[in-house]
Formats: sequence, C-alpha cells, structure tokens
Amino acid sequence: MKLFFLTLFLLTFYHISESQQRNCASSCSCTISGKIVDAKTNEALEFVSLQIKGTSKGTSTDVNGYFEFKDICEIEVDLLISRIGYKSITHHHDIFHNGLIVKLAPDNLILESIVVEEEAEVGGFKSNPAATINNKDLAQLKSESLGNVLSSITGVSTLSTGSNVAKPIIHGLHSNRILIINNGIRHESQDWGLEHAPEIDASLINNIEIIKGASAVKYGPNALGGVILISPPEMELTSHLHGDVNLKGESNGRAIDGNILLQKGYKTIAWMAQVATRYQGDLKAPDYNLTNTGMREYSGAAGLRFHKKSWDVKSSFSYLTQELGILRGSITGNIEDLADAIGDDVPDFTDDFSYQINSPKQQVDHTLVKTEVLYNFPTSRLGVIYGLQMNNRKEFDVRRGSNSETPSINLELTTHTVDVEWLHPVINDWEGTIGGQWLYQDNNNIPGTNTIPFVPNYNNTRFGMFITETRFLSSNTQFDVGLRYDIQFASFRGRDSQNNVFRNHQRFNSVSGIVGLTRTLPDGGSFRLNISTAWRPPNIAELYSFGKHQFTNEYGFYRYYFDNEVLRTDRVLEENEITIENELGYKLIGSYTYSNDRFQLDASPYLNIIKNYIYKAAGGISETVRGTLPLFIYKQTDALFTGLDLTFSYFHSTRFNSKVSSTFIYTKDIGNDDVLINIPTNRLSYELIYNTKVGEYEWSASFDVNYIFKQYNAPRVIDPEVFVDNPDFNPFIEDDSNFDFIPAPQGYTLLNFSSSLSMRQWVFSVRVKNALNTNYRPYTNLLRYFADEQGINFELGIQLKL
Amino acid sequence: MNPLKLSVLFLSILGSTLLSCNDDDAPAAENEEEVIDNVILTFTPATAGSPVIISAIDPDGEGASDFIIQQIYLASNTVYTLNVEFRNNALGEDITTEVAEEGTEHIIYFGFTSNLFSDPAGDGNIGSTNRNDAVNYTDEDENGIEIGLSSVWITGDPASGEFRLLLKHQPGIKSEVSSSTDGETDIDLIWNIVIN
Repeated sequence: MKLFFLTLFLLTFYHISESQQRNCASSCSCTISGKIVDAKTNEALEFVSLQIKGTSKGTSTDVNGYFEFKDICEIEVDLLISRIGYKSITHHHDIFHNGLIVKLAPDNLILESIVVEEEAEVGGFKSNPAATINNKDLAQLKSESLGNVLSSITGVSTLSTGSNVAKPIIHGLHSNRILIINNGIRHESQDWGLEHAPEIDASLINNIEIIKGASAVKYGPNALGGVILISPPEMELTSHLHGDVNLKGESNGRAIDGNILLQKGYKTIAWMAQVATRYQGDLKAPDYNLTNTGMREYSGAAGLRFHKKSWDVKSSFSYLTQELGILRGSITGNIEDLADAIGDDVPDFTDDFSYQINSPKQQVDHTLVKTEVLYNFPTSRLGVIYGLQMNNRKEFDVRRGSNSETPSINLELTTHTVDVEWLHPVINDWEGTIGGQWLYQDNNNIPGTNTIPFVPNYNNTRFGMFITETRFLSSNTQFDVGLRYDIQFASFRGRDSQNNVFRNHQRFNSVSGIVGLTRTLPDGGSFRLNISTAWRPPNIAELYSFGKHQFTNEYGFYRYYFDNEVLRTDRVLEENEITIENELGYKLIGSYTYSNDRFQLDASPYLNIIKNYIYKAAGGISETVRGTLPLFIYKQTDALFTGLDLTFSYFHSTRFNSKVSSTFIYTKDIGNDDVLINIPTNRLSYELIYNTKVGEYEWSASFDVNYIFKQYNAPRVIDPEVFVDNPDFNPFIEDDSNFDFIPAPQGYTLLNFSSSLSMRQWVFSVRVKNALNTNYRPYTNLLRYFADEQGINFELGIQLKL
Repeated sequence: MNPLKLSVLFLSILGSTLLSCNDDDAPAAENEEEVIDNVILTFTPATAGSPVIISAIDPDGEGASDFIIQQIYLASNTVYTLNVEFRNNALGEDITTEVAEEGTEHIIYFGFTSNLFSDPAGDGNIGSTNRNDAVNYTDEDENGIEIGLSSVWITGDPASGEFRLLLKHQPGIKSEVSSSTDGETDIDLIWNIVIN
C-alpha cells in the first residue's frame, strides 16, 4: 500500500513540478519537496527537520514523512536534514532532480543516510526495463570478476574462458553487441575477442545498472543487447572523511582480496580515492587442480569534484592491471589433441597448487581519464564529457624456444571521446536531451611478437547525434521517443601471411530509433513497452582475422573467397570486392512490475530480430602441418532472440523473504534454419533470506539454490575421433550446418550460502559457493571441453566503515 | 557567445587537433617464427646408393590450402637411417636445431602400416598405451630419453601403406612413459609409402 502511494505521489508530483520548476527562479516560486523514511524499515519519519543552508527557511516532515519548501528563489540549494536518533545529512539539491526520497539511517546502525533522486530517465528512457545491483548485493559480489557480478541479474549470463575471464551476455548477446559505460565513458577495448573480458575492477564500483532494451539512441552503436552502466562512488559535498576498508580470503584459489575507499567533501570541493588488489593462485575443480588459473589484479581510482553556483566539474582517473592465467591443459594443436583432452578424466599438465602464472595467460592494462563539466542554466543544463582511455592487451601462448616469454598478441588501443548533452527547457510538456558524440581511436600492434599480427592496425573516427524526448500523455502514461544518426570512418593497415602490407578504408553509418510507453496501473503495478533499433559495424576480427584459433582455422570477410566452390585464402580482398552490411537489431521489450506489502513481481518478455547477424560458418577442412583442421569463415544471416526474465519476491514476515527468479531464452538462426552457438541456457533459482536485529547487532543469512538447464538448442555433434580415424572426413559435404565436438553439458544444481553480521562499523561475512561441490561445466564456458568449473569455495570477509 | 556555440567550437578545435596526429602506419613486419612450413625426411641407405629425400610443404602458412606431401619410395630389404628436418622456408630458418636444443620438451612418435618394415616390427608407437612399442631411435635428450630426429629403419619385402610422423611438445611432462596423447601437437603428417 505504501509503495503504491509512493509511486503515485512521485509520478503525479513529478508531472506537475517539472513543467513549472524550470522557470521558477526569476519569480521566487521554486518548490522543493520529497519524502523522508527510515533507512532500515522504510517507514515514514515525522518531525524530521529540514533547513536550507544559508537561509532561515526551514520545515519539517508531516505524519507521512512528506515535506515541502515553497517560494524558493534558487534553483540549487543545500538542504540540512536531521532528526534526533538519526544520522544527519546535507544534500545538495537542484531542480533537475526532483522527487527526493531521503533515507535516514539510525545512529547505531552501520548504514549511512542517503538521498535517492527520482530520475526521469532510466538510462535515457523510463520505458526501458533496467535492473540495478547496489549496496549489500554488490558488496557481497565485489571480489568477483565483473562478468560474474552481472550474472546475478535475470537475463544476464557470462561467456567465460575458465573462471578468471568472464564477459557478460545480456539476452543472448555479448562482446560487440553490448555496451559498457564506465563512469560515463564507453569502455573501449579489444572486445571482439570471446576470450577478452572487460577491464573493469568490480571492487571500485558503487552501482551497476543494466538496461535490457536496445539502447542505441542515447549511447551509440554496439548496444544491440543492452547497456551496462557502471558508476563509481558519488562525490558528495559537505561530508566528513569516510569510506571503507574491505578484506576477504577465499579457499578456492587461496586468494586474498582487498580494497580501500576514502572520500571527503567540503563546501565546493569533494574528492575520493580507491585502491584494490587481488592475489589468487590455481583454482580447484571438485576432483583436480586447475593448473595455471592464478590471477593478479591491482587497480586504483581517484576523483575530484568542484561545484560553484551553476558549475559542476568532475575529474577522475582510474587504472587497472591484470594478469590472468588460462588453464594450461586447454592448449591443443589439432583435432586429435582435442579428442585426447575430451577423453581425459584429468586435464593434461595438472600439477600441485601454485600461485605461479605461466603461459597461456593474458596481461591487460586499462587507464581511464575523464573530465566532466556541467553547467546549469535557468531552465536547462549543458554537459560536456571528455574521456581518454588506453588499453594494452598482451596474450601469451605456449611457444617454442626463445619465444616462450614473448606475447603472441600485443595491442595498444587509445581512444578519445567527447560527449555533449543539452537537457533542454521543457517545451509544451516535452522534456528531453539533444546530444552529440565524437570518438577517435587508434589501434596499434606493438612489434616484437615474432608472429604475424592477428588483427591489423586501424583508426576509427565516429560522429553521432541524437535527440530523446519524454512527455506525459496523461497522469499515468509516459511516452518516450528518440532518434539518432551515427557515421564511422575506419582505416585499416595490416600484414598478410607473406608479410605484405594491405590497406583498406571503410565507412559505416546508420539511423537508430526508439519508441516507448510507460503506464502506471490503478492497482499500483506498472507496465512498460518499448521498441528500439540498434546497429553495429563489423569488428576488426570479423573483417580481418586469419589463421589458427584453438583447434580451427578461421578467416574474416576480407581474407577468403570462393573460386568455383573452392575456398581460397591466398589474398586480402579489396574494399570494393564485397559489401558487408551493418548488423541491425530490432528489439521489442516489455516489462510488468507489481508490488505490494506482501510480494513483488517483475516480468520482462522480449523479442529481438537481428538482421545481417555476423557468425562463424563451416567453410571446409584443410590438411595442415598439424593434421586436419576444420575451417570457419565469417558470414551473415538473420537471427532471432526471444525470452522471458521473471523475478518474484515474497515477504513472509519482517524477517524472512523468498525470491524466485527464472531466465528463459530461445534463439534461432532464421537465415539458415540452424542453431546459434554460445547461447546461455535457461535457469531457475530460489533464494531464502533471513534478517534480524538484536541490539547493536544485525544478522542476515541466506541460501540460494540454482538449477541451470542443459542447452537443448545445441548444434549437431561430431566426435573428434571421427576426424582422427578418417583423415579425409569432411563434415560439411552433406550438411553445412554448424557442429560441436561434444554434446552440450548436462544440467546442474548449485547451492550457495551466505551470512553477515554487522556491528557498529564492522561487518563480518561468510559465504560458501557451490556448497555441494558439484562437478559442472557451463555451456557458455569456452573451456568446457577440458575441465570442470571450480568446486566449493569458502569466503571470509571483514569490512570496516570509516 | 552562448554555451552551445562555444561547445561546438571547442569540439571542432579538439577534433581537428587530434585528427591531425593521424597514424597511418602499418604494423611492423614480423618474422613468423612459430610456423613450420617444410618437413624433410631424409632416408640414407647404409649400403651404397643415394639418399631418398622426401619433402612436405605448406604453401600458405595458416591459409586454407592443403599441405603438399610427396610419396615415399624405398628399396625393399634395406637398412635406412632417417633424419628429420623442420624448416621455416618463409624465413629461411632451420627449426630442427631449436627442437634439438629443447630436446627435453620434444619427442617424435612414428606410426606405419604393419609389415612395411622388418625392424621395427609392428605399427609404431602412436597411441596412449603404445609408448614403448618398437621404434629404433638413435638420439636422445639431456635426460637420456629419445627425441626422434634420427632413427633406423629396415624395410621388409615390397609393400605399400602409410608412414606417419607426430611431433609433440611436452614441456615439463616428457618422460620414459609419456605417450603421444600427452602435450600439444606441433606436427602430424601422413605420407603414402611404397617399398619396392
């Protein structure tokens, strides 16, 4: 009931206030209003006193927790909020963020008081379903890789290469088909690689928002599956020195993980600084060690904020370096090696536990520098963000002789971005943003690898312009619309297998759009629907890759052609010899949310059609120095992705609540009437959570049981022994559909426990992952041919809030 | 000047400055040191006669064309010493010395049709349980374990069949008992062979 009133209040209030607010300063008619609740119980707090700093204006909350200031002459003020028994908070407020909810934390709890501002836009559009991970849930997961943190949301899974390398899959799409925005800047990296995880340290993150609709209009190309918005801790003005220290130990991998955050705010300046590290040795599957799966990670970030009158300037710097070990037993030279590996009970090269990381391994560095300037006009706001990123990726294979310490891939990618956004004045009840983006990036192979570069050098320049608009059609219906145009110029320079230089230029452009509706229903539920288009140009590997990749040979669009049905790879094609279309996605996504005192329901069905979907197709076989290898070539088809994400939470009592979630996904290669590969499987989970408070102690405990289904929509299987026994065997003669060497792994059950005890500034936590020590292999783990996933893992953590 | 115009101006200046340091370079030429594109088998008869030299050539590195493999013709009832060479013709390099220097990490397994040779008898030592089946190695690494760069073969009566060479890279796991299913395959080639 309370939630219903709250939602209704916010929506109607927002509607009325927004249109009038922006012109109010000149006539001293600005209003500020909101609601204050207890941070722990969410109950309304009466008698909270609020004062506008520097004036004598004050008020207090009524029996429902509401307050209101009228006849204010400023569009920005500092609000001092306090009540006996609770932690006071000073909040800097401007009229662009109305609908305040202040959660005051009782003095004796570890929680901090916070202010939540009702954003009109959920990553740009209210009609776009989104999910958030923050606070306690995030705190528990922070020591994991970003991919694993994200997979706790329904509809999100991971494509992994063992446990150390995990990249997110949203609604079946990954790599270049989803965008990660880190601290307002698009994360630019070698994300074309299935084995390349995003270089972002989850320990430094404060909030993650996952937008599941195609979100091209606001963010640009590559957002076919969705967008992940990652935010560091906010730099609040006028706050005392605070932060936290975290330390965690894990049994599986004998790992130590730690991070420190400090921040402070003055009247016009605020700063923050963080460091984090992880030191991990070989992981362990239930039956054997996973040799060479150690990991090292060091990261740091610092930020500075300056605020005066209408100006808000933020600058940040972050740096991450990682060394990731890849299972030693996953290296194969040919199909027979693969057959041997599949037949082994224990992977080759399995040894005793060690912290040492040898080849094969990845070493990556990522640096991000960002400056953001916001200027508040009387009725609008202009923002300019400049970002600089430097990404260096080295990959070390097992090599012969003096090359054993030389990387096979050494790439440096430098990216500059400038984003300009103008939140324009409200016109006829239309609110929105007009913006432009510019990106310039330079990718270079660093010499000295002693192997021909896997991808060429290239430069990319991209311009984008967009407009997004929102309007209330009635008191309970909101309408979103947006349009965007992007154009990209790329220039490539590479070397072919004879070391001759090849050059090419390409231009890509596209229009994207979105239309959406949000409706609040009388019973308190809400319904969203949106249709959006998104696009992406083909990536560097799809265009130019050449040669051996694990146990296949693969060739990009410009590296192969057919001559009388015979596959030839002897030259690089000229730019005008073939036309490669952009991938174009059309996504229809809806979501229904309903909540009351007893339960909450979220259901999100979606349908996504991607035209010109780029994939690897069967191309033939060839006899190489290592024996027979199947050949794969990049081609385009049309693909269908559809599914349903469901979450249902039930509040049994103030202490117990349950949560059931399920993810269902079905995909198809509709162009070839075939299956798509690397699609995550369906999942079902149940979680039971218990919370209690005894004096100064707060204790919570939970367990969750997860069932991950087998992939029923998997390609046909051809046992590698068939290749071994018959060297002339060509799997594509009668049937050119995709195939796999082993059947999809069986479904499996995972059980996890966690518990935490909070006492004043301390939090002690315990977590047991895979408590049943289940032997399992996820379908989307590229190393599922070689070894099981991690077995049981005990984690012990301590947090101190400063 | 209103802020919007100011920002556009700022962007164009920024844009042109950064675009002017345009990088047009191709990646440096790299010596493709990993590729073995030529395998040479030299069968030298113990008695008089010229050596039989058989080549297997990869015409295009990691391209789609098949390896070109010649046929082996050997005289019957003759003792031959086999020397194996690996080359990277594109660079003009002899890889054999590298393999010999890292002898403790490399081993060659042989497979052949039964009855082609009177010594070694059988069909070679390829297979997870066949490590110690008959093959006449005449070289060894620092640990006294055979490598396979040189070996001795005595042909039998006229026959035909197949001859297979399998070079495995077994860093840290090569031993008296490591089999052809251990480690990574660097070379796996099959020749048609005729004894006449």
